[in-house]
Amino acid sequence: MRRRASINRPPTPDGEEDKEAEPTLQEIINIKLIESGEKERLKELLRERLIECGWRDELKAQCRAFTRKKGRSKITVDEIVRNITPKGRAMVPDTVKAELLQRIRAFLMSDNL
Amino acid sequence: MAFKSRRAGGDSEDYKPCQHLLDYKANWGTQAFRVLHKCLKPGPPGRASIKREEKEVPRCATCGKAQGRLYACLTCATIGCWVPPDQLHSRLHAQSKPGHDLAVDIDRAELFCCLCNDQVYDADFDRAVIGSQTLLALAGRVNGSQNGADSGSDINKAGRSSKGGLSLKNSVANGSGSDRRDVDEGRDRKRRRKGAEYRSWVPSPLDLLAIRQGSTPLVEDCLPSGLRGLNNLGNTCFMNSVLQALLHTPPLRNYFLSDRHNRTICQQRATHLCLGCDMDTIFSAAFSGERTPYSPAQFLYSWWRHAANLAGYEQQDAHEFFISTVDGIHANSGTESPRDRNAESGRSGDVDCRCIVHRVFSGLLRSDVTCTVCGFTSTTYDPCVDISLDLEPDIRPDSKIFMDCIMGNYDGGRLSRGSTANGITGNSTLLGCLDRFTRPERLGVNEKFYCQRCQTRQESIKQMSIRKLPLVLCFHIKRFEHSSTRNTSRKVDRYVQFPFSLDMAPYISSSIVRSRHGNRLLFLESEETWASHCPSTEFELFAVVTHSGKLDSGHYVSFIRLAGQWYKCDDAWVTRVSEEVVRACQGYMLYYVLKTLSYKSSDDNEESPRGHESEGNGNHGYTWSSSGVTNGTLS
Repeated sequence: MRRRASINRPPTPDGEEDKEAEPTLQEIINIKLIESGEKERLKELLRERLIECGWRDELKAQCRAFTRKKGRSKITVDEIVRNITPKGRAMVPDTVKAELLQRIRAFLMSDNL
Repeated sequence: MAFKSRRAGGDSEDYKPCQHLLDYKANWGTQAFRVLHKCLKPGPPGRASIKREEKEVPRCATCGKAQGRLYACLTCATIGCWVPPDQLHSRLHAQSKPGHDLAVDIDRAELFCCLCNDQVYDADFDRAVIGSQTLLALAGRVNGSQNGADSGSDINKAGRSSKGGLSLKNSVANGSGSDRRDVDEGRDRKRRRKGAEYRSWVPSPLDLLAIRQGSTPLVEDCLPSGLRGLNNLGNTCFMNSVLQALLHTPPLRNYFLSDRHNRTICQQRATHLCLGCDMDTIFSAAFSGERTPYSPAQFLYSWWRHAANLAGYEQQDAHEFFISTVDGIHANSGTESPRDRNAESGRSGDVDCRCIVHRVFSGLLRSDVTCTVCGFTSTTYDPCVDISLDLEPDIRPDSKIFMDCIMGNYDGGRLSRGSTANGITGNSTLLGCLDRFTRPERLGVNEKFYCQRCQTRQESIKQMSIRKLPLVLCFHIKRFEHSSTRNTSRKVDRYVQFPFSLDMAPYISSSIVRSRHGNRLLFLESEETWASHCPSTEFELFAVVTHSGKLDSGHYVSFIRLAGQWYKCDDAWVTRVSEEVVRACQGYMLYYVLKTLSYKSSDDNEESPRGHESEGNGNHGYTWSSSGVTNGTLS
C-alpha cells in the first residue's frame, strides 16, 4: 500500500499564541480544583488548621511588628505581602502541608476529573 | 496568600484615602458602590466574596490564568491578576485606562487601589458590603439549605457583563445618600487607656521589717483563712451562699482586708446605712481565725433596710440578692459615678464608677442592631454586673439538626464550638450558652427597629457582645422560667457543663464585630482600642452557687475554691470536696476571676480619696496574696 506523502510530513508547528495558551499541569489542577469547589473546601480546611496551630496569630504578630517598624502611614498591603510571605510559608507546619497534599492527591485520584 | 492589613488601633479620622479613591468618589458620588450587593456571595459573617457561577473560574483577562490575587476593576469589571513581583496585570489595566484605578478583591470583597499598591478603605463601600451580607444571610436563613446553591443566581446573571468580567458598573441609584455615623463611637474613643503589665511586688528589707513589726501572724491550721460557716437565720441560705462567694472574691477580699473600707472611721455610717461597713464586719469575722459559724444578722438587717421589698423571712433568689447587694454597696459607698449626670444614672454596673463593687463586677455589654435593608448599624452600650444566660431550649435530636440547618448559614463556624458538645452529650454547656448569647438574632416582625438611615421601621438583626470584661465575671444561668401564656413559673433542672478555665476572647466585641464584618473600616475603630487595652481574656472559676429543690422551696449551697482546693459552704457547714463534685453540680451562678491583671497607667489616675476610703497608697491599690486564685494587682 502506498502511503500519502502528507502522513510522513512532520506536523506543522503550533503558532506562537497557541503555545502560550497551553496551560501547565499546575494550572490545570488549579482550575479543576476551583471548578469542582474543592478549592473552597481546601481553603476552609487550611484556614482552620492554621488557626488551630497558632500560625495565624504568629503571622499577625509578624505583620504588626513589620508595620510598626515601617511606620503605619508609609506601608502598603503589597509591601507587607512581599515581606511576610516567605516567612509565612516557612512557618506552615509540615503536618498541615502533608494533610493538604494528601487531600489534593485524593482529589486527583477520584472521579471528579 | 491571604493577608489582611489590619490597621492597628486607628481611628477613621487618621485614615486618609488615596487620591484615586477620592477621584472615583467625586466621579460617581455616594452611589458608587450601591450595585455591589448584586455581586456578593453569602459567606460566613465577615468573609464576603464576589459571587460567581458554580463552575466558573475567575481568570485574569490578560494572561488567562487563575493565580495570585485577582482584582475586578471597579469601573469596567475586567479581572486582572496580581502576582508579585512582576506579573501585575491589574496594575497594567489601571495604568492604561485612566479612571480605572480601583478594584475589588475577588476573594475578599475588599477595595484595592492598583496604583498605590495598597488596600484602601471607604465607609460607603464597607456599608454596601455589610448591607448586602446581612441581606444574603437573611435570605439564606429563610430559604433554608435546600435551595441555597441556586438562590439568587438570576440576579447574578443580570449583573454580569459579557466578557468574563463582573459588572460592578454604576447603574443603580436608589436609597438616600446621606451618611450618618454612629453617635456612640466618638464617646468611647475618649476613654482609651494604656495598661501596664503586672509585676509581682517584691518587698524590700524595709518593707519586711514593717510587716514583721506591724502584724501578728495568724495561727496556722489546716484550713485556708477566711473559711467560716454562716448560720442560717431563717431561709437565708440565698444570702449565705452569695456572701461566701463575695468573701472569696479575690479583689473584693483584698480591698476589705487591706482596710480600705474601715467601718470605725466610715462617716457614712453615722447618718446612713452602709452596706460596705457591714461587709467589712463580715470580712473581719470570716478572716479572724475563728471557725465557729458566724451569724451575719447585722448584714441581713441592713440589707432589709436597703431592699425593703425583699425584707422578711421568705426564700429569696440568690441572684436577686447579689444584684441588690452590689447595688447597695455602690449606693452607700459615697462615690459618684461620672455618668450619674446622664440619663443612665441609677443603672447598676456602671463601668466608670469608682466604687469597689463596680470596679470588680461591672462590665459593658454592646448591642448592635443592624438594619437588613441598608446595613446601618445602631450600637448601644449597657453596663452590667453579671451576665444572665438563657439555657438552650430542650435539645431533641431532630430539632437540633433542623436548627443547625437554619442557622448554619448565618453562624458559620462559630456554631460548632458549643453545639458539637451538645449534640454528643445532650448536655448544655456554658460555652454553648455564651454562643447563644452572642449570636445574631433576628428581631421579630412586631419588634421592628426604627432605622435612622431608612427613616422607617425595618427588619433587623440584633447581636450582643461584651465590650468590657469585668475583673470578676458573674454568670447567672436562667433556671427559673416564666411562661407568660400560662402565667406559671418553673425551674429548669438541667445540668450545664462549665469549664474551670474560661477564655472570653471569642465573645468580646472586637472578636464578634470582626467576625461579623471582616476588616471593614467602618466598625473597627472603637473596638480595637479595647482589645489592645485588655490583653487578658482568660478567666478562672472560683465560686459556684447552686440551687437544689423546686421553684418555691429549695436550698442554696456554694462551692468555693481556695488554694487550689474546693470547699462546699452549706450554711454553717464547710466541707472539703473534690473537683468532681463541683463539676457535677447544677450551677446557678458562676463566678470567674481574670487570671492576670494589668495596671492602669498612672497618668490616668485622677482618682481622689473619697470620704471614708482610707486610700493609703494612691496609685496602685493593693495586691492579693497567693492564697489560691490569682496573683495580681487591681488598680
